Amino acid sequence: MRTWRMRQLLIALVLFLLFFALVGLNIKMGSVKMPLGQALIPNTIEHDILWKVRLPRLTAATVLGGALALSGFLLQTFFGNPIAGPFVLGISAGAKLIVALVMVFVLGRGFTVNSKMIVSAAFVGAMLSMAFVLAVARRVNRTSSLIISGVMIGYICSAITDFVVVFASDENIVNLHHWSQGSFSGTSWADVRVMAAVIFVAAVTTFFLSKPISAYRLGESYAQSVGVNIRVFRILLILLSSILCACVTAFAGPVSFVGVAVPHLIKAITRTSKPHIVIPFCFLGGAVFCLGCDLVARTIYAPMEMSISSVSSLLGAPVVIWIMAGRVGGE
Amino acid sequence: MEYYFRAEKLTVGYNGRPVVKDIEASVKKGQIATLIGPNASGKSTILKSMASQLKTISGVALINDTPLEAINPQRLARQMAIVSTERPQPELMTCGELVAVGRYPYTGKLGILSDEDKEKIAEALSLVKALELMDRNLTEVSDGQLQRIMLARALCQEPEIIILDEPTSFLDIRYAVEILDVLHRLATERKVTVIMSLHELNYARRVSDLVICIKNGYVMELGEPEAIFTEETISRLYDLPAGTYTELFGEL
Repeated sequence: MRTWRMRQLLIALVLFLLFFALVGLNIKMGSVKMPLGQALIPNTIEHDILWKVRLPRLTAATVLGGALALSGFLLQTFFGNPIAGPFVLGISAGAKLIVALVMVFVLGRGFTVNSKMIVSAAFVGAMLSMAFVLAVARRVNRTSSLIISGVMIGYICSAITDFVVVFASDENIVNLHHWSQGSFSGTSWADVRVMAAVIFVAAVTTFFLSKPISAYRLGESYAQSVGVNIRVFRILLILLSSILCACVTAFAGPVSFVGVAVPHLIKAITRTSKPHIVIPFCFLGGAVFCLGCDLVARTIYAPMEMSISSVSSLLGAPVVIWIMAGRVGGE
Repeated sequence: MEYYFRAEKLTVGYNGRPVVKDIEASVKKGQIATLIGPNASGKSTILKSMASQLKTISGVALINDTPLEAINPQRLARQMAIVSTERPQPELMTCGELVAVGRYPYTGKLGILSDEDKEKIAEALSLVKALELMDRNLTEVSDGQLQRIMLARALCQEPEIIILDEPTSFLDIRYAVEILDVLHRLATERKVTVIMSLHELNYARRVSDLVICIKNGYVMELGEPEAIFTEETISRLYDLPAGTYTELFGEL
């Protein structure tokens, strides 16, 4: 028991150190050099870049990364499946599609879009994909079929998004192309305020579900027998995971594999599936993961940027293979 | 209120299709009632319905004269615990954590365990002689150990009634007898009502106050073990060829 506690404290310490190191690197590194002394003097280019570009961007990576990991954790709880995640199940892609449609439609008529509108559109899209995945899950009970149908939904939505984006040649939509590939770039403080507010509420609610999630590990009937209201609980899982995923997609586009890889890694290193521990660690882990990925994405070919998904897939997809290999080996 | 649990014209089944019809049974506080009968006769279906896990088709099951469906689920969780045939073995969960799930109805919003809860968990584990498994991962215990852990979880829920489906399967004779002994002590000392199904007839005979025989979709016979464990009744229940009963139970 003691050593277990110590281990978790140590992991928390390491994750926080990594987090602060990555925050530091994200401030320092980039296409423009950032001497800190200069950056603190107002009205310099460095000052502007730090306060208007890098800080909001790294805050977004932190908050959205945490949200993605939580979204994945909730979906894994819901489906009782370690490979479930917002990207794998096509929920990110559904959100992306509806956001693209709304943006093309609204911008095409000369109106501007605000972040609330985009978040709402993303939520609608996430729920639509979710409805489809649930319908499939009801018919087939096999893990592989569920994942395959999710991946296919993802492809279909992405394809339609591409058609829409390329078809709409409006200047504003140039940004859209970049966003639809997944990126944290161009985040403003206004965006950060909206995402932080939504994600804060969703994350705290998730933490307060620790108790039923803990009981749900024994399966539905045992959870019900100790007093978990299964209907309400399942609806909450769906809503929360969709809100979290929608919020990420609205601001950063689809970001792949964070939702699957981070919860798995966190459980593996903390050696527990206790939600009271896994939930906060997942948030922190997701933040660290995305800060790291974004650092690579924007510095490796600077001043050119890679899409965040390219980096997160490279790191996250092997974890999925690892999970599957572990399953097969264990059986 | 003489009877703790009653079933009145209870018909149970799946999706509106009855499996067992018109069950009439009454169990007093602190009694052990055991369902016996051939495989697939619907014993599990009855237990699931009594545990409020399956919608009943008609009739009513009452606890303390209150219909089961009228009891608020959170309250029911303090009155009734179940041990089904499901054997969950989630990864990275310790036996202690599994038993702690039994404290769910008593803990606060976040489910943080108080010292009292921790005592109850340790007590339940030692009652099933599994205290040393507390910090062991569930994936590292045997089926028999898991079954005892599941029972400990039900015990620390402090129920007035426990419903168990085949609690002795997977157990070797020593642990099976110990589990039945624990149930017997709960019934006599703490006045917990026990309703369960058993395959092993000799156990059913030894431990039960009431035996309910299920066959062909109906309660074929119901009564004290002395009345049920006769060559005539048991042979009829299991369609035994003449002479088999004496061969099997002659020594009892």
